Amino acid sequence: MEPIIALENVSFSYKINETHSVPVLKDVSFSVFPGEYVAIIGHNGSGKSTLSKHLNGLLTPSTGDVWVRGHNTKDESRKLDIRKSIGMVFQHPDNQIVATIVEEDVAFGLENIGIPREEMKQRIDEALEVVKMSDFRKRPPHHLSGGQKQRVAIAGVLAMQPDCIVFDESTSMLDTFGRNEVLQVMKKMNRMGMTIITVTHRMSEAAEADRIIVVEDGTIVMDGQPRDIFKHKQVLMDLQLDVPAVSQIAEIVHHHIPNFSKEVIQEEELINEVKRVSKARSGEVV
Amino acid sequence: MASEFELSRNITIGQYVPTDSFIHRLDPRIKLLIFTVLVLAIALNTSYVGNALGLLLSIYLFWASKIPVSYGLSGIKPAIPFIIILAVLQLIFQGNVFSGGTVYFEYGFILITSESIRLVIVSAVRFVEIILLSSVLTLSTSTTELTHAIQSLLSPLKKIKVPVHELSLIITIAIRFVPTFAIEMEKMMKAQASRGADFGSGEWWRIIQRTKDMLPIIIPLFNIALSRAEDLILAMESRCYTPGNDRSTYSVYKALGRDYLVLFIGLLFSLLLLFYPFPY
Repeated sequence: MEPIIALENVSFSYKINETHSVPVLKDVSFSVFPGEYVAIIGHNGSGKSTLSKHLNGLLTPSTGDVWVRGHNTKDESRKLDIRKSIGMVFQHPDNQIVATIVEEDVAFGLENIGIPREEMKQRIDEALEVVKMSDFRKRPPHHLSGGQKQRVAIAGVLAMQPDCIVFDESTSMLDTFGRNEVLQVMKKMNRMGMTIITVTHRMSEAAEADRIIVVEDGTIVMDGQPRDIFKHKQVLMDLQLDVPAVSQIAEIVHHHIPNFSKEVIQEEELINEVKRVSKARSGEVV
Repeated sequence: MASEFELSRNITIGQYVPTDSFIHRLDPRIKLLIFTVLVLAIALNTSYVGNALGLLLSIYLFWASKIPVSYGLSGIKPAIPFIIILAVLQLIFQGNVFSGGTVYFEYGFILITSESIRLVIVSAVRFVEIILLSSVLTLSTSTTELTHAIQSLLSPLKKIKVPVHELSLIITIAIRFVPTFAIEMEKMMKAQASRGADFGSGEWWRIIQRTKDMLPIIIPLFNIALSRAEDLILAMESRCYTPGNDRSTYSVYKALGRDYLVLFIGLLFSLLLLFYPFPY
């Protein structure tokens, strides 16, 4: 299968002045395929945010190449194609809304790529429906909650019908409620076939993904399924990362009841595991 | 006490109030055009009666757009010191500008005549009219509508390579961020006040001291504005914004009969202000 995004030996350094520069990414290579749900995790300063800005050509590598659907992000003439194909939702909900009315903000991206008006209307309806913001379409954004604003930002990206949406710490400014709203939308879009890349330092969020890439000091230290990644508890701790709370609970329970699996990473799994084990136990008693 | 920090409440520019009145549904291009002409006419009219008419009109427009006049009045409040300073300066220094009129007071270079008093009163009322009119415009028109209107009214300038869309986008973003920065400033004032900073307790005439008091607010505010701008650029670029590109527009306006009627009435009113020789 053709990857949507392919990074080949990407290195990047920020120039401070003529002679000095700070290396941020060092020889990073990986590919993302259609339909995947990838979480990129790492602590502050690990280079994960710089990495995400390479995915749609906001930054271009100092050495190496990033390919989006076969186009090199260094190719200026392809910049628009690349950004049409990779949408991006940012951290601060307020700093990505341009217009003063929800539906007009969703229209902004569509106007930029010259979508005819009739089609625009239809796409805006659909996008707002997916993020459940249809009732708010005429509202000014500063009357919305953080989670609602972030969902509007998602709709603005979704309406452009990209192949992949990158979430750059998009839940970090939100409260628990807003975070859940945005997570639900992410999962829903992935089920609808959208490729999702989420950059986060929250393990509970990463646990929802199909694949986790762990970034440390500008390099990829682990790349695999969440279940496999969270087994390396010590490695994660050394990287100032953590396993999800659910995993920690499972491990404590496992310590007392060996039958209880410690490889549980999602809430639902935890509940099922409790049901399974308690059923088995009641069987024992009888 | 806490009300002195509630800045976002006092700002009326850029806050659309959707009451869906007749005024709201007018074609924004017509509204903007009429607004410009009216402001010009008011600015050039020097009579009491003319400005009283202008004041009545601006209050009527609030009523017609179903928006409480208090929204507009709270916009005037911050302008009061400027109006007063301007009035005093005009009263002292402008006596010689208009010849004629009765002389009430003369001392050295200070000359107060009935004409200069008229100038002072009329320009204060003018200020109020213009603030009220612009409040009605911005309260009844979303900023996107406004910028579409600016863009469409200025579009002939594209022929001489004026970047009309870029200009209108700059205006929208500036207006869009007014409430955001007001909230930001509010937070910052509370944070500084809770650490013992003193705002607004100095006497009002100590302007330099009061300005100095504001520095710990203004500098971080600039800082935040710049970092917000950087974020916004990234977000806009990610959504394929390219200056100078051909774009489509979501909102399309079509002037109806009532729009032309309003345009006609507005022009007539402006002509009246401009050319009718009011007795007072």
